[in-house]
Amino acid sequence: MTAESMSILCIRDLHKHYGALHVLRGIDLDVRQGEVVVIIGPSGSGKSTLLRCVNRLEEPSKGQVLFRGADITAKETNLPAVRRSIGMIFQQFNLFPHMTALQNVMEGPRTVLKSPRHEVRMRALELLKKVGLEEKVDVMPRQLSGGQQQRVAIARALAMNPEIMLFDEATSALDPELVGEVLGVMRQLAEEGMTMLVVTHEMGFARRVADRVVMMDHGKIIEHGTPTAIFAGAVNERTRRFLGEVDDR
Amino acid sequence: MRNWQPLAEGVAMTILISTLAMLGALAGGLAVALARLSRYRVLRALTYGYTELFRTTPFLVQLLWIFYALPRLGGPALTPFSAGLIALILNLSAFLGEIYRAGMIAIPRGVVEAGIALGFTGTDVKRRITIPIAFRQTLPLTVSHWITLFKETSVLSIIGTAELMYEARVVAVDTYRPLEVFTGVAVIYFLLTYPQSIILNRIYEKHRPQE
Repeated sequence: MTAESMSILCIRDLHKHYGALHVLRGIDLDVRQGEVVVIIGPSGSGKSTLLRCVNRLEEPSKGQVLFRGADITAKETNLPAVRRSIGMIFQQFNLFPHMTALQNVMEGPRTVLKSPRHEVRMRALELLKKVGLEEKVDVMPRQLSGGQQQRVAIARALAMNPEIMLFDEATSALDPELVGEVLGVMRQLAEEGMTMLVVTHEMGFARRVADRVVMMDHGKIIEHGTPTAIFAGAVNERTRRFLGEVDDR
Repeated sequence: MRNWQPLAEGVAMTILISTLAMLGALAGGLAVALARLSRYRVLRALTYGYTELFRTTPFLVQLLWIFYALPRLGGPALTPFSAGLIALILNLSAFLGEIYRAGMIAIPRGVVEAGIALGFTGTDVKRRITIPIAFRQTLPLTVSHWITLFKETSVLSIIGTAELMYEARVVAVDTYRPLEVFTGVAVIYFLLTYPQSIILNRIYEKHRPQE
């Protein structure tokens, strides 16, 4: 089998320019079904931009993103249809502020998939229970803690039954004592076999949950391998320096 | 005693025309806001011109122009009711349009992106995110404009729309009792508007900007 047929996501020679700024400088990355790939690297290395190119919240300047074998950078791509299958979690949670937790989770299937209300509601309640928020069903986002908001956001993304989940620094905006509850949910998802592409500064999560760790710097992947290979025996000098600088939780 | 009859009819007309004007202006303001944020330059320019025109000329001028001048240009001859209603809607839509536009611009980009990431189309984003959030966030301003509108309808008496102020003027002339009649009318306006003002204050108190 070729890499394309085994992988759910293939990124090929991806470039992104912001004017003169060359943020992504030729990224190649494959993610296989059920794999957890964690992207690490210093701020400004292009991690978030790479993630946002995968569901085209950012427009790549050059290169390809193949999702289930189809090039979604192609002009004729039906983007809303593709995005249904790609869940995304944001640093700032971005819950819909005018809807309760339950309504937030129901919103995708109701508006996008037009699934029956009763069915969607049952599934949403199930998902909120899964992320430990069955008691916050009717609460508005602003009355929830950051960790709770992020867990609602995860339930909201899962309600679409995505084939892959993107986590864009999901815990970076959280108070330290709230990070664990979100990482716990992410870890549980990984154990259930969800395909995940995770940008994070949580090295403990990368070490324990990742199947593969990818190190980015200056818009390029400078090293990748198993967590053991990266954390115990990084070859690249820049990777070692980065790992020495960050807190290993 | 028989003079209460026309005043009561005037009150009914004031409430009716205010309500219709508000409903029209809610839709009109929304349309103006969306047009001003449209990707089409012509639409943006047209609504910009409309908004500025109606915000920088007196309402009385707009009203008289629609009632007296428009028919001379080959426009339809309007009844005092229709002309009054149209003038109110056009005027208020310009103000509400600016408010809703500001409300839409203030929505954090990330919230819109969350919808897009779920697979929302542009229409879904407007219908489920932009419009409901903008409406909620600007609710106190909308209610405040409603109160202004409610009193502003008295200007329509100039062209003969049979609302409260018009009826009052007729009664005052009939009875030669301007003091009693206009004092009474002021009290009626107060009694009708004061509860609305209380509601507005409640909304202001409850209203906290959301993230």
